[in-house]
Amino acid sequence: MKFNLLTVAVKNLKRKPFRTIILIISIALFVSILVFGTSFFISVNSSLERTANRLGADVLVVPIGARQYADEALLETKIRVFYMDKGMIDRVKQIEGVDKVSHQTYLTTIYGLCCTIPPATVVIFNQDSDFVVDVWLKKSLGRKLRKGEVIIGHEAYENFGMFDVSRSTLFGVTFNIAGVLEKTGTGFDNAIFMSDENLDAVISKGKSGLKPNDISLIFVKVKEGYDPYTVSRKIEGEIIEVDTIERSEMGKKIIGTFKDINMVFLITIVFASLLSAFLAWTIFSAIVNERLREVGIMKALGAKGSHIVIMFILEVFVLGMLGSLTGVVLGTYVSFSLSKIFSFLKDINVTLTAAERIGVGMLGLLTGTGICITGALTSIMRMKNLEPFTAIKEA
Amino acid sequence: MTHLEIKELSKVYFIEDKGIKAVDRVSLRIDKGDFISIIGHSGSGKTTLLSIIGGILRPSSGNILFNGDDVYRFDENRLSEYRADRIGYIFQFASLLPVLTVRENLLLPTIFSTNGVHNKEKVLDEYLGMVGLGDKKNAYPSQLSGGQQRRVAIARALMNDPEIILGDEPTGDLDEETEQDIMDLLKKINLERNITLILVTHDTGLAKDAARRLRMDHGKMEEIRGNGRNK
Ligand SMILES: Nc1ncnc2c1ncn2[C@@H]1O[C@H](COP(=O)(O)OP(=O)(O)O)[C@@H](O)[C@H]1O
Ligand SMILES: [Mg+2]
Repeated sequence: MKFNLLTVAVKNLKRKPFRTIILIISIALFVSILVFGTSFFISVNSSLERTANRLGADVLVVPIGARQYADEALLETKIRVFYMDKGMIDRVKQIEGVDKVSHQTYLTTIYGLCCTIPPATVVIFNQDSDFVVDVWLKKSLGRKLRKGEVIIGHEAYENFGMFDVSRSTLFGVTFNIAGVLEKTGTGFDNAIFMSDENLDAVISKGKSGLKPNDISLIFVKVKEGYDPYTVSRKIEGEIIEVDTIERSEMGKKIIGTFKDINMVFLITIVFASLLSAFLAWTIFSAIVNERLREVGIMKALGAKGSHIVIMFILEVFVLGMLGSLTGVVLGTYVSFSLSKIFSFLKDINVTLTAAERIGVGMLGLLTGTGICITGALTSIMRMKNLEPFTAIKEA
Repeated sequence: MTHLEIKELSKVYFIEDKGIKAVDRVSLRIDKGDFISIIGHSGSGKTTLLSIIGGILRPSSGNILFNGDDVYRFDENRLSEYRADRIGYIFQFASLLPVLTVRENLLLPTIFSTNGVHNKEKVLDEYLGMVGLGDKKNAYPSQLSGGQQRRVAIARALMNDPEIILGDEPTGDLDEETEQDIMDLLKKINLERNITLILVTHDTGLAKDAARRLRMDHGKMEEIRGNGRNK
């Protein structure tokens, strides 16, 4: 059996278990809020950013007034439809600085009325001009989509449940399901994709309400050397019927709606950390006073100031780690389970990568332990240069 | 040679502006291997003097020279090393840490020592056997009698192989038989290892064992019987 200052620290911790547990719980609560809040913040932001980047477009062109709908349709998994005239494509192409354009048309499925699947967004795109979905469509399927085929997003697929997954009727037309896309963490996870070769068939059935010249949005790639902002301003200035969204602007509205939630998190985190630090401070000033005599004896036996400080720091450290670990586990668990419960979280794909989870966990451990040590430090430092005899006598 | 030199040592305690002179200009030369007993009434300043020698209480004036070095001119760390490596202190009061077992209490000072005592566990067993507590290694202080605790504290004072043992009424609450055992043990250590031994005791009978006997009275020191070795 080894014996060192850690042994002493751990044994000291067990002296007043109730007090120790109170501090551990307080740290655990603080850290779990921190971990949950940070996970939430990161997942919202990275999910939005990821989607915006995946789109591969510098500027989005949407019907005037549809800016927010476009955001919601692309970045969240809300079902939104909005249309403008196909003629806009050519007009956008004319604008100085525009390199490539591609367009998509959105439709909504309504189970029982037009379709044999649960509600989802159907994305109709042009395979020749497309530079947005093409890449991962090819990755999942290995080839282009054929006429009469659809490929479905990961979450849309999960919603199928007991529905037939090989064939389905959409807007009165029967389609083969060619495959399922990998999970992307974007709004497209909840969509069903088909090529615009099917447009005539869909329109002729009349169940979609779609008119031949309807498109939903245009993706624009800006020529090298051009600033997306200027190009975007120019498009809006010259074409009165459209609004534009730059890549960096995407998701701003959504992030805005989460600002209040993040604020609540922030306030709670600050408050909880102050409370934990205060608790650590009170508990350790009490501990230090109780052990004044023992510290005096240890110093009389030859302990240096550093021995005493290390002993107490180890004690706080073990406490802080226990609390923080509990908090990390709790916070991670909550962020996992809440994302399944809250519908507004479901709309935003709350998925953190393993690395992000580890990062957040480390942050929790560090902050929890750090707060604990910070709170206790003044009391501990008081013990450093104590005169042994005085400490023993005054206790 | 002079092991320890006490020069014009005074300690004044202040309580609400009133000074109490607990040690009053005490001077003393102690050679290596000396066995010194100090007697005196309660409140005469024995504990205060011993504490100053042990490096745990700063004097108001005067010096303690250990092998010629002024102990209270050391910085905090060297002073700690002096306490850990040179001094084995047996307190007048119960001084074991309650959360540690007997074994752990004995190992505690070795953490602080730079002496590098080898075979700690073996040394521990040896001293524990010497104080007759070989079977109490894993007991907690609360499970021991006052006398047993005192004996553990004596064994603890020996752990770092000190050059000076300071005993503040080390046999205070022991029965007569154990008291004699402990005294024999301390004398043996003093003789065999040439460890300087300074014992405070209220018992004039025990004090007679010492080669040099001193008495304290109101902070002042007087020599009752000198020692041939003392120059
Ligand atoms: N920490 C202290 N503060 C104030 N007075 C003290 C303190 N320690 C001891 N004294 C006083 O100093 C004198 C000597 O005490 P002490 O050295 O303990 O004597 P002894 O050990 O001989 O009984 C006594 O009058 C005592 O009351
Ligand atoms: Mg005394």
